[in-house]
Amino acid sequence: MNASLESPRPSLLRKAALFVLLAALGGAFGFGFATLTDGVLTRWEDELAVVMAAATIGIGVITAFVVATRPSQVPRGCGVLQVVVMLLAGTLFLLPVFGSAWATPEVVFGAVLLLLAVQSGANLMLWRNADEMLRRVMLETSALAFWAVQLSLFIYAAAERLGLIGTISGWGLMGVLMGVYFIASIVAGARRGLS
Amino acid sequence: MNNRLKVLRAERDWSQADLAEQLGVSRQTVNALETGRYDPSLPLAFKIARVFGQPIEAIFTED
Repeated sequence: MNASLESPRPSLLRKAALFVLLAALGGAFGFGFATLTDGVLTRWEDELAVVMAAATIGIGVITAFVVATRPSQVPRGCGVLQVVVMLLAGTLFLLPVFGSAWATPEVVFGAVLLLLAVQSGANLMLWRNADEMLRRVMLETSALAFWAVQLSLFIYAAAERLGLIGTISGWGLMGVLMGVYFIASIVAGARRGLS
Repeated sequence: MNNRLKVLRAERDWSQADLAEQLGVSRQTVNALETGRYDPSLPLAFKIARVFGQPIEAIFTED
């Protein structure tokens, strides 16, 4: 066995470098996304959904890379399940936007329900297989996201009821919810040193 | 809560992954425990105590 006293926290320089790298990646992604979807996506709700899909699929691919290069036996199967959950989540956000180009809305909706059932099953298995800290992170993410979404929804609903702002579609609200959930998961994970 | 996990692990020449496997948790969880980002549940604290052969209060101390 090898002793390794891993550095507990990254240095400020490393954090700054990571920030610059992420900012550059974000900029490149934003430019590429705007170029590719110019004229294709006409609604902001669909643009948001595609961004969420790209983010979840991206995280799924990165997780798959980590699982392949640094395999871990414990907690059993969690890495693979996380990949499945993220890839399916991304697909679920893409299907309602692009699915009707290949099939009828009824067929696309059926596929959405089917994939959602599989994803829910994978999520449940992930919860059951996770160790106590991962479960804690999941719980904190859910609590944080619920608090933020509930607060935002009330403010929006009050303003909408008063006629101060326009109505947002359910699809748009779903995209916003997913965005809030993403941020909540980043905050909850970072507090436990997950990155 | 403070703990001596990192020292105890180093004394035994174990990596974080080695300890994680013995505890049945992820390497990230061991890292979070060592850096004070996560306090273990009582069952996990007992398991840690068993793995190191020491009482809980010899490993974990209050701030």
